[in-house]
Amino acid sequence: MRCTIAGNGVKVFGRAVHALSRIGEDIWLDPLQKGLAVRSVNSAQSAYACFLFSPLFFQHYTANLDQGRESKGVKCKVSLKSVLPIFRSVATLERSVCKCEISINVSDSRVKFQFNCRHGITKTHNLGYQECEALQAVFPTHLCPNILKAQPKLLSDIVMHFPTSQEEITLSVSPLRFKLKSYYEEENDLIKSMNTEMSLHPDEFDYFQVGVDSDVTFCLKELRGLLSFAEAHGLPVSIHFGASGKPVSFSVEGMVLEAVVVLATLASPDSENPSQESIPQEAPAPRNRSEVCPGNISIADISMDEGPLEAEAAGVAPKLPAFPTEEQVASSQGSPVFIPDLHMRNLLQLHGDEVGLSRPSLCDVIFESESLTSPATPATFKFRSLVFGAVSSDQVNVSALELPSLVCASDTEDDTGEDSGMVEE
Amino acid sequence: MKFRAKINDVGCLNHFTRVVNTITKLTKTCVLRLTVDNMYFVLSGKVANGGVSMWCELLQVNFFEEYQLEGVSADANEICLEVAPENLSRALKTAQNAKSVKIKLTKKHGPCLTLAAELPSLSSINRIVTHDIPVDIIPKRLWHDFKEPTVPDFDVSIYLPPLKTMKSVVDRMKNLSNYLVVEANMNGEMNLKIETDLVSVTTHFKDLGNPPWGDNASQSQSQSRDAEAMAHARVDIRKLQQFLMGQQVNPNKSMCNIVDKRIIHLILLQEDVSLQYFIPAVA
Repeated sequence: MRCTIAGNGVKVFGRAVHALSRIGEDIWLDPLQKGLAVRSVNSAQSAYACFLFSPLFFQHYTANLDQGRESKGVKCKVSLKSVLPIFRSVATLERSVCKCEISINVSDSRVKFQFNCRHGITKTHNLGYQECEALQAVFPTHLCPNILKAQPKLLSDIVMHFPTSQEEITLSVSPLRFKLKSYYEEENDLIKSMNTEMSLHPDEFDYFQVGVDSDVTFCLKELRGLLSFAEAHGLPVSIHFGASGKPVSFSVEGMVLEAVVVLATLASPDSENPSQESIPQEAPAPRNRSEVCPGNISIADISMDEGPLEAEAAGVAPKLPAFPTEEQVASSQGSPVFIPDLHMRNLLQLHGDEVGLSRPSLCDVIFESESLTSPATPATFKFRSLVFGAVSSDQVNVSALELPSLVCASDTEDDTGEDSGMVEE
Repeated sequence: MKFRAKINDVGCLNHFTRVVNTITKLTKTCVLRLTVDNMYFVLSGKVANGGVSMWCELLQVNFFEEYQLEGVSADANEICLEVAPENLSRALKTAQNAKSVKIKLTKKHGPCLTLAAELPSLSSINRIVTHDIPVDIIPKRLWHDFKEPTVPDFDVSIYLPPLKTMKSVVDRMKNLSNYLVVEANMNGEMNLKIETDLVSVTTHFKDLGNPPWGDNASQSQSQSRDAEAMAHARVDIRKLQQFLMGQQVNPNKSMCNIVDKRIIHLILLQEDVSLQYFIPAVA
């Protein structure tokens, strides 16, 4: 992979690296035909972020240099400890860097960041990387009953009221109200700490759809990176979520880039779905057919309010699951079934081959259970990257999935839902 | 016990915020005394503080448009709370542009001072941010610890030089020594001295002026005192620095009373706020 970023883009890339540094310790570089995906996940696998830079973002972009090899670029993982200092001061980057070239040198196992700066100075950083499988989260945002969209300033203004040390917050919505409040796991903290609550009227949002009244609790710290990024670029932020326990996704979409942060949320102790509370087992990962989920999830694309997303009919007959589900998504047509615990389990997929796109424009992650279609050919598995609104398409089939063991809720041990009843009704 | 107060004016809010910020810089925790006419932030001189004590008095009516108080009992119509001023400061900080700020005593998971600010918003309905600050109620039997301090029988009383100047001097001296001697006389002269094995540094201020205390016993005492004679007290320099660092309000009057070898008593006065700070002398 080799790409060149022009002056203005370098600070954007730098800000993306800063945002990713709030999430995890490493960044995954995944050069795709549709652009360079830069991703990170936290150690508890309860937070995932992906920045996708389309080829238009770069002056030049080549996903893979060696045409003879596989038709995809090398995927690698670089420690943020090495990358972050390179992009440490965005202001300096803005001032002095004219051009930045990033390339992956397979023979040396090095990722090279070369800055052409003013006054004829060239700075080259060669960072060792670990070759790895691509990291991708699978999150069907179109199945989320609750969708909000807000200007970044609004979200920054809201989040500003919470101290930077605040770990977790609870977002409560109903059709008439939006409320954010600080959340404390420990009873002790609850009594001793300052509790902050902020409520807004839905009118303040660009788009406010609440299908299900819910309270989701997630880690605020991990989100702040994306919010700063969004504010720096004036990009509105879309929030997709469902009931507690299901992940929440925050995404921004620009002309040449998209970014998303998906966070796990705490499962409510009084959820109706008992299976939600169980700690998910590691799903078996057969090489040629992936068991995405033992239950059944059918595909239905629900077109979103804005954006160039087309509704696509999956054409797959849904099958009702054996165990009760949390909710039926109201707007679904093909009665898709959203299974919370499985959803969380399948949030992150590490897979050996590149997952490409089979359609030019995307909605969101969609995955099909193999039990829905009798011949589970690779073609029936449509995996899409979490980041929606892709620019170009790929016709690569998925052949294998491997599901890591995932933490169901946020990175606490109490994912059986003993969160002291703090989640409101 | 009931307490409700409301600030509607942004100027008052800013002023109140500045006072609270000053208190925050001085101490991690203090006692908030609420009476019908005043609000006091009190720090009593305990060993834990290094003997430092503080008394800050606000005239409630100059800050709050609405103020209702029902104290512990009819004859003790006041409320005493222990609070961390930093929490209050943080809460006020987020309410900077508020249209109104309400403070009331509530009970959530424990007694709290709830600050609710109505913020301007993009829609017709205002945003509301609420902060619940945990407090501890101080029982009446302990109230004697938090009474207004009496002005000590001072030897010298002098107006302070501009606090900014004092602060820059003290900041530099802090690098050289842990203890600083404050001395002054009734002739408007004040010296700040440090002395170590290697070096001694003195900064002299003159023509500061001495506040007239009027019909005061100490006055008569100091009248018989030689105007040139210096009263001095050796204090921990960090305490003095902490006091100077926190000053956000520009006082109308600032003065210092020195009891020779015992204590320095710093007083900052504004029209609706007064702050007294006692730093004991060390040997």
